Amino acid sequence: MDASQIIFGLTALLIIFSALRVVTTRNMVHAALWLIVTLLGVTVLYALLQANFLAVVQVVVYVGAIAILFIFAIMLTRREMRDGGPQLNKGWPLAALISLAVFGGLLALLYNAPVSERLAASLEGQDTLGALGQALVSPDAYVLPFEVASVLLLAALIGAVYVALNKKQESDK
Amino acid sequence: MTAYNSTMILAILPEILLLVLGVLVLLFDVVWKGEKRRALGWLTAGGTALISIVTLLIGRPGEPQSVFGGMLRFDWLGFAFKQIFLLGAIATALFMMDIEKLSRRGQAYALLLTATLGMSLMASAADLVMLYLAIETTSIPLYVLAGFLLDDDRSAEAGFKYLLFGAMTSAVLLYGFSLLYGFTGTTSLTSFVGSLPLALGLVFLIVVGLGFKISAVPFHFWAPDTYEGSPTPVAGFLSTASKAAGFAVLLRLFLTAFPQFVEQWAAVLAVLATVTMTVGNLLALAQKNIKRLLAYSSIAHAGYILIGVVAASKLGVASVIFYLIAYLLTNLAAFGIAAAFGRAAGSDEIASYAGLSRRSPGLAFAMLVAFLSLAGMPPFGGFIAKVLVFTAAVETGWVWLAVVGVVNSIIGLYYYLTVLKVVYLYRMEGENEEQYPIPLTRPYALALTTLSIAILVIGVLFAPWFDSASLAALNLF
Amino acid sequence: MMAGTLPISYYLGLSALLFTLGVLGVLIRRNALVIFMSVELMLNAGNLAFVAFARMYDMLNGQIFVFFVMAVAAAEVAVGLALIVAIFKTKRSIDVDQMNSLKG
Repeated sequence: MDASQIIFGLTALLIIFSALRVVTTRNMVHAALWLIVTLLGVTVLYALLQANFLAVVQVVVYVGAIAILFIFAIMLTRREMRDGGPQLNKGWPLAALISLAVFGGLLALLYNAPVSERLAASLEGQDTLGALGQALVSPDAYVLPFEVASVLLLAALIGAVYVALNKKQESDK
Repeated sequence: MTAYNSTMILAILPEILLLVLGVLVLLFDVVWKGEKRRALGWLTAGGTALISIVTLLIGRPGEPQSVFGGMLRFDWLGFAFKQIFLLGAIATALFMMDIEKLSRRGQAYALLLTATLGMSLMASAADLVMLYLAIETTSIPLYVLAGFLLDDDRSAEAGFKYLLFGAMTSAVLLYGFSLLYGFTGTTSLTSFVGSLPLALGLVFLIVVGLGFKISAVPFHFWAPDTYEGSPTPVAGFLSTASKAAGFAVLLRLFLTAFPQFVEQWAAVLAVLATVTMTVGNLLALAQKNIKRLLAYSSIAHAGYILIGVVAASKLGVASVIFYLIAYLLTNLAAFGIAAAFGRAAGSDEIASYAGLSRRSPGLAFAMLVAFLSLAGMPPFGGFIAKVLVFTAAVETGWVWLAVVGVVNSIIGLYYYLTVLKVVYLYRMEGENEEQYPIPLTRPYALALTTLSIAILVIGVLFAPWFDSASLAALNLF
Repeated sequence: MMAGTLPISYYLGLSALLFTLGVLGVLIRRNALVIFMSVELMLNAGNLAFVAFARMYDMLNGQIFVFFVMAVAAAEVAVGLALIVAIFKTKRSIDVDQMNSLKG
């Protein structure tokens, strides 16, 4: 057992525990904080998998932006941070059963899958960041998705601004 | 590094023009003030019509080819679907013009155009990255459009439900994509090599994601609520263009990635089709609200269209495309009528349609055409479409599925005729209907007249349309 | 390099478990925000699988996919949370079981 296995084991436990807390906790702010822990755990795994760039983006976009947005939304929608009343909907036993089936199905799928036992050779020594940047703007690679992503972000911006401003006008009345 | 060439530009010509038009709309949204802003709708509809004409003239594909490093396929299949979406956007823009709070907002038209752009990319995407981005570019503007009337409880709720279901199913779809990538080693849509259980697992994950888009049972829960609460023209767009985009992806994905497992996934989809038709039709029987009725009817139609996908033959694919054209014209007309009536009468209840034939003979006649076409009556487009789909099923040995389809069409006939009975035979209680006319504004009159004529035309002169659909279908085999 | 000693299947198993937890959260919770957080868990599970596969094939395309997914997730969350806050202003609740002004 070497260092990477220990790191992976600890991170995996942390991810599972914190994800479970996100799903089960009554306190909304705690849920958001546990979500951040999960996201950071995933970041560690990205680093282990040598996706260094993605690890950074994960911290900036997911932890820095998405999780913070969640906390804002919680503050704006709750006078009380604790969520009173029943947490689970009526069909929860069925839902739990479905989830179990999903897990079983996925495991069976992965068990049958042609995945190699070991990780492939390391990407070390390659300029992954440079290659990534090249690929994103190359016409025979990812330039079109890249442009479409910018259109998507613009549309989301227009939509979100519309929704937010509309509320303001309403309260002005 | 290869350079750009003209084929690449031609392949995304509609998308580029849609983006330009969207920016123009936002620009004029700032420049135009007051009553002038109504012209935003004319600008959107006219611009989209122009885009359609321009692409028909100069943007036609030749031999199918991959562009942008395999991100897109430039072929007739994508081209045909793009024209379908553009048509849907034109009609929707016209219908949006007289919905208060929607018509004078440039954002609404810009979001409509972005969603159309996303659909166009969905129809030609040949890479999982492109496909995922295209699906999201379609969905995110539609979430906002469905909830556009934020002051209205029901609209906000509609957008919200659509968003929650959409986010969940796209996460499932993404997981399916990640496994598809993992088992093939490439993100481009290539033939999947692997064992049957593996393929079936992937098919399930993908069906969840796309089942939402086409509103197939059991992924349909959002549809009635979202259609009822959304602004009516948006509901029409969701039930036609958005559904067509889902089918475009379904066809390309399954026929490209899993051709060797066709028997197995066809069986899965056959079950899905049966359940979808039956549940949609049975629930439609009990509806009192016209938009909910149309929602369940649109679920049932997703079932009929799935029959063509199950056939998985050239005729099957062609019948799917033809059905989608006929269904788009018909259902847009139906939702347009509901929008015009709801605006004037302030109600979407079927009972309030009593006496419509006297209040507005024109609207009532358009409704007759649309509903008979939905029911699959000759000589309207819906009839030919159903015949083609059922023929495709019989030809490939799915006789029982065709029989289920026919039985379901008969159930469907009942509730469509019930609505027409209210329109033509019932009277407003103790009132003189002529005193309550339903005024039709110019955009509505234009759109409804064109759609009604088109429904008749493709029902009578179906050969050229079917030939185009067959040409597009060839690209998958 | 130390990561070379871990079989890829560990990562995939973890991603499957994370995905399942996300599905569980989506299906059992009533609070819209928690449901949305659970969707993020599902997305992260997908991303983790992508990165692991990208490592297995020693190719960048999986990583690029994840990059785009993150952009999409950010857009989706911005629009989604705006809508959730808007609906809270009118309904004073974000409990999905109370979303019942649409019935049938």
